[in-house]
Amino acid sequence: MADLEIRNLHVRTEDHEILRGVDLNIDRNEVHALMGPNGSGKSTLANTLLGHPDYEITEGSISFKGQDITEAEPHERAKAGLFLAFQYPVAIPGVSVANFLRMAINAKREEPIRVKEFGQELQSAIDLLDVDRTFTSRHLNDGFSGGEKKRAEILQMAMLKPDVAILDETDSGLDIDALRTVAEGVSKLQAEQGMGALIITHYQRILHYIQPQFVHIMLNGRIVLEGGVELVERLEREGYDEIRRQYGSEVTAGANSSGESSA
Amino acid sequence: MPENADGNIQVKAGRHREADLYKALHGAGAADGRTLEQLRQAALGVYDATELPVWRRSGFWTTNLQTLDLDALDVRHHEPGEQPAVVTRTIPERARAGRIVQQDGSVVHIELQSSLAEQGVILCSLQDAAEQHQQLFAEHYSKRLTIDRNKLEAANAAFWSGGVFLYVPPGVVVEDPFEVVYAICEQGVAQYGRTLVIGDRASDFRVHEYDLAENFEGQSLHAGAFEMYLHDGARARLAQIQDWGSGEVYDCSTRVVALARDAYCHWLPALLGGHLVRQHLELAVTEPGGDMAFRGLFFTEARELLDVFAVDLHETGPSGGDVHWRGAATGQSRASFEGLIQIDPGAQKTHTYLQIHSMMLSPKARVDAIPSVLVSADDVSASHGGTVGELDETAIFYMQSRGLDRPSAVRVIIEGFFEPLLTELADEHLAGLVREKIAGKLAAAREDIETYAASR
Ligand SMILES: Nc1ncnc2c1ncn2[C@@H]1O[C@H](COP(=O)(O)OP(=O)(O)OP(=O)(O)O)[C@@H](O)[C@H]1O
Ligand SMILES: [Mg+2]
Repeated sequence: MADLEIRNLHVRTEDHEILRGVDLNIDRNEVHALMGPNGSGKSTLANTLLGHPDYEITEGSISFKGQDITEAEPHERAKAGLFLAFQYPVAIPGVSVANFLRMAINAKREEPIRVKEFGQELQSAIDLLDVDRTFTSRHLNDGFSGGEKKRAEILQMAMLKPDVAILDETDSGLDIDALRTVAEGVSKLQAEQGMGALIITHYQRILHYIQPQFVHIMLNGRIVLEGGVELVERLEREGYDEIRRQYGSEVTAGANSSGESSA
Repeated sequence: MPENADGNIQVKAGRHREADLYKALHGAGAADGRTLEQLRQAALGVYDATELPVWRRSGFWTTNLQTLDLDALDVRHHEPGEQPAVVTRTIPERARAGRIVQQDGSVVHIELQSSLAEQGVILCSLQDAAEQHQQLFAEHYSKRLTIDRNKLEAANAAFWSGGVFLYVPPGVVVEDPFEVVYAICEQGVAQYGRTLVIGDRASDFRVHEYDLAENFEGQSLHAGAFEMYLHDGARARLAQIQDWGSGEVYDCSTRVVALARDAYCHWLPALLGGHLVRQHLELAVTEPGGDMAFRGLFFTEARELLDVFAVDLHETGPSGGDVHWRGAATGQSRASFEGLIQIDPGAQKTHTYLQIHSMMLSPKARVDAIPSVLVSADDVSASHGGTVGELDETAIFYMQSRGLDRPSAVRVIIEGFFEPLLTELADEHLAGLVREKIAGKLAAAREDIETYAASR
């Protein structure tokens, strides 16, 4: 059984169905890339995995480290070791990055973290992500630039040390240096504690720094094609149109299995 | 107020000078050369001639004090001695310049650092000041406070006992706060608290007022009058922590701070509880160069009702003002805030700004905020802004996804909402106390907040 197992996931909002049967397995130590055109449902999947209240699961299940978490509260999923770096991180006015991190870390522990230990961990995360020391005393995401928000997400990931992290377009809006730093942050967590990752992206560039073993293409709320890195190259070459023609909405059930290669 | 001098004011029963209610006092003090005894007599006349007030801000709110059974209350006196438990329990232990505690109708505790006494600082009951410091008293008492706007104001002026007097001599700088405490320990009490603070030329000090009550059943009243005069170049930071607890405490108070030339005041009332609280708060620049930061926060819960009228008054220019209030409401509570910027004809080169931000945390809670600007000078800038907010569900989910449970996430948002003001307090003891009280209120309203979130 995989660490994160998504089975036949159907998800809807009040108005319409967004995910229409997603299957995906992610183990620790694995890097998966999830690609797909705008509006195909990537962020919906990411948010649903963390239990966002806007999304109703009508069918299927999610299990994490052997526990069914389909109905679990978001904070329980986080405590279990799931992490989402948001595509659009939310500003929390009046709460400093450092204070927020301390609260998040303490939420996972029985005893609150010691000041000294916290300071050391924060410093090493700061070094790793190459951010300014003053960064952590600023209010979380409040007035942050796009790039700063993304770095703050990875800083949180580095501090919270999840077992599986979902990075929702963390690469968008990052210059190449920032991108490299972020990639290094992910790699380090992988090397140190075997974190698994699901990297949602539109671009090949991040995948140069973090090599995915598995690539999944989502179209219209389904994963229609799966493979290795070669899929990314094919995508760069052909674009989604070709894939849409082959696996578009008129194609039903069978489409899912035709791309089978991983999972 | 010459027409009131003899106490023969014509006020029909049940009718009040509503038009005056949301008006600046504007220096219209009652003193006018009269002795304390004459003022008490005049106030008694007003008291006898008026009913308890009902104030209507048409279309917005009604503040009705007639549910108070004033006849059932009395002024209770105590011998000096132990400080009430609610005082020692609530106020953080820390270095202080001094402390004066009034329990019900009497001052029961006074302490002052001896080095300050040697420098001429005076901290005593206002009753004692009236006798022992006659000149200071006569020059300041009721200089900018009235006695005839409503029955409770008159009651205070007529019946006050105990009271607080603080005088900081010229050039004296005091780091640690003077603590002024009003405590009500049981039901049935009428507390007519009266404070006079004088910061002489170029003095610099802090005052922390605590208004506290035990959680008793039944009614009590605090009708307060507070005046603070900062002479040329004086600087003061004034913070007020008000939490009257869960008893049926009515608080109807008027507070005025007046700034002379180049004086500065940072004023932050934290209004954190009371059955029915009406506050007229007025910060006035009376001479050129005065500068003020007028902050405030409130949090109402259960069936509490809060009515704040905050005035940023500029009688002369150049002067500066900056008014920034934040408030939240849970339960079925109602908070009404009116903020007035008033710039008089002579107050050229005044720059001021008023902002009020509020949060409604449950379906039946209501916060009304009315900012208004009355400008009679042309070379000035005065504007206002504000927001009315609800809990941001995306922010809550964001925090939950980091491991915080929902109540913690809500608490973080609310603390964050108040944080700009708590930071400005520049006092970790006070900020910690306010945070603790807010956390307690959020915990108490937890279900309420949940249902509200689910209903949206
Ligand atoms: N909370 C919501 N309420 C209503 N519709 C939603 C909601 N969230 C997503 N949708 C809709 O579901 C579809 C998928 O959105 P989603 O954000 O998951 O796409 P995405 O693949 O992440 O796109 P992008 O690449 O642009 O980030 C879109 O049509 C979107 O408008
Ligand atoms: Mg997306």
